[in-house]
Amino acid sequence: MDSIAITRIIAIVGLALCLLGILLRLKTIMNRPFKKDLSRERGLTGRGLLFAFTLGMAPWEKESTRIHWISYMRGIFFHVGIFTAFGVLLVSPWLEILPNWLIWLGVVITGFGALFGFAGIFMRLSGPNERVLSVPDDYVSVFLSSFFIALGFATLLWPSALPVFYVVTGIVGVYIPLGKIRHCVYFFFSKFFFGKGFGHRGVIGQSKGKYAE
Amino acid sequence: MTNEKFTDKRFNLTDEKKSLAIDVLRQRLNRQLEASLEVCVRCGVCADSCHYYVSNPKPEHVPAYRAEQLRKVYRKLFDPVGKAAPGWVGAAELDQEMVDELIMTAFGSCTMCGRCVINCPMGVDTRHIVRTARAMLTAIDMTPGGLKATVNVHLEKGNNMGVNEEDYVETVEWMLEELQAELGDPSITIPFNKKNARVVYTFNPREIKYFPYLIQAAAKIFNAAGEDWTLSTESWDATNYGLFSGDDAAAAQMASNLEGAVNHLGAETLVMAECGHGYRSQRWEAENWIGHSYPFEVISFVELQAQYIKEGRLKLDPTRNQKRVTFHDPCNQARNGGIVDEPRYILRNVVTDFVEMTPHGVENYCCGGGGGMLSMTEFSNARKEAGKAKADQISATGAEIVATSCHNCLDQLDEIKRHYKLKVKIQNLSELVANAIVWPTPPEAEEEKTEEKE
Ligand code: SF4
Ligand code: SF4
Repeated sequence: MDSIAITRIIAIVGLALCLLGILLRLKTIMNRPFKKDLSRERGLTGRGLLFAFTLGMAPWEKESTRIHWISYMRGIFFHVGIFTAFGVLLVSPWLEILPNWLIWLGVVITGFGALFGFAGIFMRLSGPNERVLSVPDDYVSVFLSSFFIALGFATLLWPSALPVFYVVTGIVGVYIPLGKIRHCVYFFFSKFFFGKGFGHRGVIGQSKGKYAE
Repeated sequence: MTNEKFTDKRFNLTDEKKSLAIDVLRQRLNRQLEASLEVCVRCGVCADSCHYYVSNPKPEHVPAYRAEQLRKVYRKLFDPVGKAAPGWVGAAELDQEMVDELIMTAFGSCTMCGRCVINCPMGVDTRHIVRTARAMLTAIDMTPGGLKATVNVHLEKGNNMGVNEEDYVETVEWMLEELQAELGDPSITIPFNKKNARVVYTFNPREIKYFPYLIQAAAKIFNAAGEDWTLSTESWDATNYGLFSGDDAAAAQMASNLEGAVNHLGAETLVMAECGHGYRSQRWEAENWIGHSYPFEVISFVELQAQYIKEGRLKLDPTRNQKRVTFHDPCNQARNGGIVDEPRYILRNVVTDFVEMTPHGVENYCCGGGGGMLSMTEFSNARKEAGKAKADQISATGAEIVATSCHNCLDQLDEIKRHYKLKVKIQNLSELVANAIVWPTPPEAEEEKTEEKE
């Protein structure tokens, strides 16, 4: 077996463990009680949900993201970088047949993604609030994710980096359900409850009411 | 105990108390709470959403810092990595030090206003986390004294200030007489226990004890609108400090007292006085605490006043309120209840010069009086300090009157006014509405006037 085949197995095992871990996390949260809200609706819950998962995520919608737009945009580019690196992983056996423009698009996105990812570690260390809030898991999670994107970037430019990319994928895969990166699983739950709760009360995502100016 | 304010031995953590507190966390760990405990990425962008942080920017005032205290306990108990390597993920034992920290963060420096919730990109509900921490502490008798007493008095006496029925009825009747005399209209009524009235109205006991003129304001509005309304002597307290102590059983008891009163009278609508947390409790939380839906509707007096104006049921003269007015949105009505347009609609109709604070509405800053803070004297200094954000907002408007529709806000704004030397008057919304009402001269009074002239 060559190094690519061996490391590919490492990646697959890591991702399988990741999936297993995520499923266990999902099972735990789905086993927690969930009660219907018995109060009468004031707004349309559906509109609140729609808002939470769409416009509500726009950087101008929240005061916090308007103030910390650099942080927020850094996060956006970082996350786009992660998704793109996963894309690179998926198409990695066929890299040679990909069109050049697609390769270069991937290079740009993962390049910036990795840069913004590593910048996150710096920002966490330099911000007094972030420093107090952070635990080792925060630094390791950001580092691993950024390293993963960086290797996606490297693989696109130098296909010989592929075995390293696979190994790092395996490590990241194992770490996802254990560390902070698992927030990706809970994000959908918390956004759901946010949209549902505030939509039900008519606070977010509603059309103009009869008393509006 | 690190804080000299909590030296009483009931604040000592015993093994029994520890396991009770953990049981409470276990019981309350539903899907929503778990999501909020898990999803925070500790990005810190919620910092400036909190009035505590805006007034005094330090890491301990970042909303995530408060939530993180309970998260540490949660990780130690429920997360495999937290159990195996606590230092790695920030997990911690529920020990005396942690309990002290929880008291200071959950009770002492969070009003559960929800401003950080609407500002968190991940949708973390810090309100929910903080209320859970309060519930755990309340279950082990570690609620700060004033808040504990307020809940107990309500449960024992039927209202949180221990007003007896005789005083209640006498105060209302005294206000009725004064109102009739002031308007020269003996037909004005304040009915008690009227069966099948459309509306049952409630009071914050502070209105009965310290602000009886607000009873007049409400009576004037109801009578002017020709409402079919009543008061109840069975249960009339709009407040519910169980929301703040985190004690769902106590909260359910207080809420069902009101429910019983409305059901016995056979009314269609329960109208909550201008009391932010009372509205939130009865409108949004109570049915979930009690476990069934009400057969009647619950609305805020603010919504009802807006409705009267919209339907043309009040004849208003805004020139009677000529001073510049700004409005403070109670968090429990605006951000936690969706009542944003109504007070503005009212003010546009009852005053001549209305100016907004920046920010306002759903994004308004908490005044610092929410979360039961006014009952917890241990944290008075922190509360006043946290009011700075609001004081600055008020100053910037150049308003002479700050209107609001919540008693806790009213009291806190009054303290802020004195503490930060603001030259403003704090008033309830209904006062301004009542003042703008053009009362129809009763025919007898008209005749008397004509006779006098002749
Ligand atoms: S609560 Fe939200 S905004 Fe605050 S640190 Fe956590 S994820 Fe970030
Ligand atoms: S709920 Fe309000 S007081 Fe509490 S942390 Fe959030 S913004 Fe601050």
